[in-house]
Amino acid sequence: MALGEKELEALEPDHIVDGIGEVCPHTLNLALDGLKKAKPGETVMEVTDHSIATKTIPAAVKMRKNAEHLGTVNSGSEYKIYLKKL
Amino acid sequence: MFTIEMFILAAAFGLTYGFLLQKADFCFVASVRDFISVGDSRTGKGVLVLMATALIGWGVVLTFGFASLDELWTVPFGLSNLIGGLLFGIGMTIAGSCASGTLYRSGMGYVHFWIVLACMIAGNLLFSFIYDPWAIDYFFEPLATDGGYSLYEMNTPFLILPLVIVAIMLLLTIKRFGVGGFLQGVKDSLTDWQGNPFKQQHWDVRFCAFLMGITATIQFAVFSNISVTGPETRMGGVILGSIFGEDAVYNNMYLNEMFAGYPSVGLGPEEALVIFILVGAMISALLSGSFKIRFPKAKRLPYAIGGGLLMGVASRMAPGCNIANVIAGVGGMSIASFIAIIGMALGVFIATAYIFKMPLLLFHNFDDEETV
Repeated sequence: MALGEKELEALEPDHIVDGIGEVCPHTLNLALDGLKKAKPGETVMEVTDHSIATKTIPAAVKMRKNAEHLGTVNSGSEYKIYLKKL
Repeated sequence: MFTIEMFILAAAFGLTYGFLLQKADFCFVASVRDFISVGDSRTGKGVLVLMATALIGWGVVLTFGFASLDELWTVPFGLSNLIGGLLFGIGMTIAGSCASGTLYRSGMGYVHFWIVLACMIAGNLLFSFIYDPWAIDYFFEPLATDGGYSLYEMNTPFLILPLVIVAIMLLLTIKRFGVGGFLQGVKDSLTDWQGNPFKQQHWDVRFCAFLMGITATIQFAVFSNISVTGPETRMGGVILGSIFGEDAVYNNMYLNEMFAGYPSVGLGPEEALVIFILVGAMISALLSGSFKIRFPKAKRLPYAIGGGLLMGVASRMAPGCNIANVIAGVGGMSIASFIAIIGMALGVFIATAYIFKMPLLLFHNFDDEETV
């Protein structure tokens, strides 16, 4: 269930992961750690300024089937990646 | 010896590479790591397109006589390429980016990669101090042949082997995705536009890889083989010379060889090309609004420093970085580069699996797992 930018911005994530200043593979590992702490149905949002994370994190959760990628909000050089734990 | 036209040409090539690398978000570490860890083949496809373009490009350049066999980049081959490539692969995975990725991300404002770049140059210099006699006696002489070899040295028409290899690559792609999937991929790579392309943060990686292959082919025909860590080593030599005097450079056997053909210890066109890769990436990032000074977290500094140093030393052992081996090496069908690339991929695999202990999802059977 992909959400639009306004819907994503209106979400209040249950867990926020700070990925600012991080590079790969730490950006992905931080997201996976955040999902481990979340309960099924909860949302995890990682904020990152490393653009390639917007590809690897959705790909990882899709393959691992542990979360749904709700969408990504891009504001210039920063990205908010929203995940819902399955 | 060096003319102003050579510097202008080098700057133009560097700007083009930097712009395309940033637009593609092109990272050789990601091409292997993301494929084995999350099954993401996006960047890997770009690397294959780049190799295929370079293969055909070099074949065309040689066939039409724009360059000759003795202008190919070939180095002695053997176990040394595998060990050097493997260590370089481990280093770039720890650092978080390959040699070209370090340059374009430095241009995007990543302080982390400024540190990686500085440590790579320090690693280059470290190697130069152990080159004579230790690296020669205990690494290169027992592990590598005396001279390099290119498959172009076989008595076949220059375009035959590149065409056969690329045809096999195409057949494998079509077998995997079908004709429809392949054509759709070509169409997608050419139509990934949203408004003003200069303001678009990223372009399709396959499209950018193709353009980089064409650019490298033109560079090979009119100027030189593309390289990154060789010029970075000379930059280190210039820094060393400015502190300790030119004799410190000329008395070092490795650096002395690196500056052979240079009128003095200074920056030449190849170094200008590398500097302008960084400038090209910065321009691309500024145009798309993705430039930002990004400070790393303190706990990541050991990764930047350790990874950078290892990359610097290993790039001299392999020799060459990912860019030189994947473009000039594969394009020139150098045996040493094929071995070094295998080593680099193994190094990325080892670091991903055993240093970062990332789940290798490509090899994971999720049916056996009830909960995450």
